[in-house]
Amino acid sequence: MFEYQFMINAFLAGSIIAILAAISGSFVVLKRYSLLAESLAHSALVGVAIALLTDSSPLVVALIVTVLSAWVIEYLRSFYHIYSDAILAIFLSGSLALAIIIVSLSGSFNSSLFSYLFGSILSIDMTQVWILSGAGVISLALFALFYRELYFIAFDEEVAKSSGIKVVWLNFLLVTITAVIIALSIRIVGTLLIGALMVIPVVSALRFKQSFFKTVLLALLFALGSTLAGLSISYYLSLPSGAAIVACTLIVFIISLVVNRR
Amino acid sequence: MRLKPALFKTTDLTYVLNKHTILDSVSMTILQGEYCALIGPNGGGKTTLIKMLLSLLKPTSGTIELFGVDIDRFTNFHLIGFVPQQAATLDRAFPATVKEVVQMGRAAISKGLFAFDDTDLRAVDDAMQRMMVFDLQDRLIGELSGGQRQRVLIARALAAEPKALILDEPNTGVDQPSQAAFYDLLRELNVQMGLTILFVTHDVSVIADDITKLFTINRYLTSCSDPKAKISCSDISTLYGTSTHLLNNHHRH
Repeated sequence: MFEYQFMINAFLAGSIIAILAAISGSFVVLKRYSLLAESLAHSALVGVAIALLTDSSPLVVALIVTVLSAWVIEYLRSFYHIYSDAILAIFLSGSLALAIIIVSLSGSFNSSLFSYLFGSILSIDMTQVWILSGAGVISLALFALFYRELYFIAFDEEVAKSSGIKVVWLNFLLVTITAVIIALSIRIVGTLLIGALMVIPVVSALRFKQSFFKTVLLALLFALGSTLAGLSISYYLSLPSGAAIVACTLIVFIISLVVNRR
Repeated sequence: MRLKPALFKTTDLTYVLNKHTILDSVSMTILQGEYCALIGPNGGGKTTLIKMLLSLLKPTSGTIELFGVDIDRFTNFHLIGFVPQQAATLDRAFPATVKEVVQMGRAAISKGLFAFDDTDLRAVDDAMQRMMVFDLQDRLIGELSGGQRQRVLIARALAAEPKALILDEPNTGVDQPSQAAFYDLLRELNVQMGLTILFVTHDVSVIADDITKLFTINRYLTSCSDPKAKISCSDISTLYGTSTHLLNNHHRH
């Protein structure tokens, strides 16, 4: 399958997304914020819908809409003291409703939308691989700089704050990176499925009860393995790539449950 | 008597929440090297007061000075170690080894760009050794006993090399023998390391005889610097209707 450029692109893009999703997912899951990924993915769908309506770049519009949603969600969570799961539920269904209205108005219920929902290996061109690489390097550098603070915040936000860590700023940073990763993932994993790629490998890794360092490493391994396997399955069986990837993470999750049963 | 600088100084601190006055004109001073206890009933404003000292809450009115600096201009929060109420904060499934938890104490002050540097790692080792959890460093915190976890959380605070330690209900979820050893340890930190200590409790029976200052709080604050007069301090507090709990525990001292 590597004789096709689109498969090489898909594997490159998929690997970058898997690495970023696992790292960002580790913090998000430990903060009990798993639904964030799901809600932001639906916001990305609003971006795609607007782009289809206005005939602009889905990637760019999705990026803007997703990052803005992330900031509004985090703002409401930090300063309005609304339950964070309730905010996420509002954003999840609200975005979906909005996206469907926009799509209906534009009359673009077509195969192109289907590929944004569930991912497609045929959709990745070299430009997107470059954009993903750039965003990937920046995100990784930010995680390398701030993982110690983010870890403390995930463990105990209040004590972290009392020790002088800029909690509000770092929470905004985390949701922003997460939003960027999600917006960039929608072509290959799909808006309805990227949330699963962030959460399931981490939850599977947690079953092994290891240190934080090893847990992140395991999550990375699971996400990468599932993505590469999923893309291959997608190629041979002509399935939407996002669905194949998430099905693979589910298999990993079930194995992790069985191996670690107690 | 040598004049020691005040590490914590509040003046007329008042906190009003939903028209309820939680704290009313609280003025307290804690000098360097003191070993203080803050007691009061649940809902009496203990947690509110320490959250203000840690800059986690803003007072409705009044001022706070930390290490002689107004709290709004104070930046050295690593000098104040905070040991939270562990029952409320510890998630047993959280992936963290003892060492990883103690290292968190260096997160705000590490000079290492991408990882903890030698200074950090040395401070972490020292803190683990002092709190006798060095040999547990690779164990997961979820596997530890209550007493061990408590020592890990203190080690985390010590890793930042603080000058003062604030402990919120440190005895929650810890068995009696561990508690006795724990108070010896606090005293040791106070005497040997010169750490200023403020510990918060609702249980007057746990207060050691050697504290240098006792605060009682129930909306209003009373303080008493003569440890021998501790019991009469408690009596004073009953004037404010502090709690029958204090009275009931009198005879234990």
